[in-house]
Amino acid sequence: MTKTKTLALGAVGLVSLLLLWEGFARSGAVQSTLIPAPSAVPAAWMSEWDLGFWQDMVAASFSHYAVGLLIGSFLGVCIGVAVALMPRVNASQAWIVRIVRPIPPLAWIPFAIIWFGVSETAAAFIISIGIFWINYFAALTAVQSVDKDLIEVARAFGHHSAIGRLFKVILPAASPGILGGLRTGLGQGWMTVIAAELFGIPGIGQRMIEASGLLATDVVVLYMLTIGALYGITDYIFMLAQNRLLAWQK
Amino acid sequence: MAKIIEISGLSLGFQRDEQQHTVLENLHLGVERGEFLAIVGPSGVGKSTLLRVVVGLTQAFAGDVKVLADKTPNRRPIAMVFQEARLLPWRKVLRNIMLGLEGLDLDAATRRERAERALSLVGLAHCAERWPHELSGGQRQRIGLARALAVEPELLLMDEPFAALDAITRQGLQDELLRIWAETKKSILFVTHDIDEAAYLADRVILLGGSPAHVTREFSIRTPRPRARDGAALAAAVGEIRAGLSESYAYRVASSA
Repeated sequence: MTKTKTLALGAVGLVSLLLLWEGFARSGAVQSTLIPAPSAVPAAWMSEWDLGFWQDMVAASFSHYAVGLLIGSFLGVCIGVAVALMPRVNASQAWIVRIVRPIPPLAWIPFAIIWFGVSETAAAFIISIGIFWINYFAALTAVQSVDKDLIEVARAFGHHSAIGRLFKVILPAASPGILGGLRTGLGQGWMTVIAAELFGIPGIGQRMIEASGLLATDVVVLYMLTIGALYGITDYIFMLAQNRLLAWQK
Repeated sequence: MAKIIEISGLSLGFQRDEQQHTVLENLHLGVERGEFLAIVGPSGVGKSTLLRVVVGLTQAFAGDVKVLADKTPNRRPIAMVFQEARLLPWRKVLRNIMLGLEGLDLDAATRRERAERALSLVGLAHCAERWPHELSGGQRQRIGLARALAVEPELLLMDEPFAALDAITRQGLQDELLRIWAETKKSILFVTHDIDEAAYLADRVILLGGSPAHVTREFSIRTPRPRARDGAALAAAVGEIRAGLSESYAYRVASSA
């Protein structure tokens, strides 16, 4: 299929969905507060924009997201790589991780509030937890599956130090797996950012709760679509960077 | 003639469950400067392990490897070519060749220049900016050779470097290697299980056999170079080695029964 044809089909799919939705909302089968029509969203956006809410909420959510993402990704990758390189530590972490990891990020909300109050820090903390685990496992597995033959080549050609091997072979060889983890975390982060704000930290999530309390469902839909768009943009930018970094792959 | 490497009383093998299993025992072997020495033997006699010991990737159980090459800060005395090219897939060809130069006392321009020279030596100067996955198997193997040549070693270790290639490519690369050897005057320690290859390439062929393995026979191939692949002189040498090999194989079977 040609590139234009793929793009065109994507657009046709999206437009059809919007038309179906619009038709259903206008048919009168359900109340407009239960399912707002997509055509109501631009108006909602204008009013939120005029009030300055949209900009503020997006900025606030983005800052929670960015902080949580940076902390979670950085710690996850570093600790994952380090553990993979130390067989003893790796063996001793197995059961700790098995028990701690399944705890969903949102289950940390009580502690987040007790430790940090209803604050930006609390939101960033919750977001970073989910992202941490994704990156931790991605990095751990990626480093463990580095081709031992290539490490041997580096040694045969004089790179005997652990640091040399890490930067010459292990990290580049593990980079596809690590980047894959970062990208998954990028998506997971937007999912938790809203949930983390539902308990009152200013941001998109909080605004959605307010709006739903007033049955302003068009505003809720506006912010739902905003999240979708923000995720789409971050993922797309990351994908471009990823393709560049991994140009060496087949 | 002076030796480049002197191996004495070397025993090696593998370790399993904290137990040493000796595969190759009490090996005495010297490589003369400029000599092309081939080591031939069936799988499992420790040929590859021997090279790994010499280059320092693994430890021998006993014995001594003396490398008599000059130590200079901008060369490595020994370099290895592996059976699979083992190029780093995230580095373009030229950067792959620079791998061994990065730990040496060289500035970036010199590293580049030496890598380019090694690349021209294997006839792939036009591939400098390609990714390894864009190359054929034979080309990849030549890059592996260039990577070893770039560190300007006195001794080149080659671990069945052409075994994974098709027959036509293999012939081409054998001749290429002989040309490079003549041009650079390196000493080469070449491991193979291909008798024709050993006889065609080497000045001297050492047969390993038995269990634990040891040197069972040694042949000097005096056929003058360039050698004809189908010449009578070479055929005689091959026949002799082949006879020696079946002898040592029979011995190996008998002693392990």
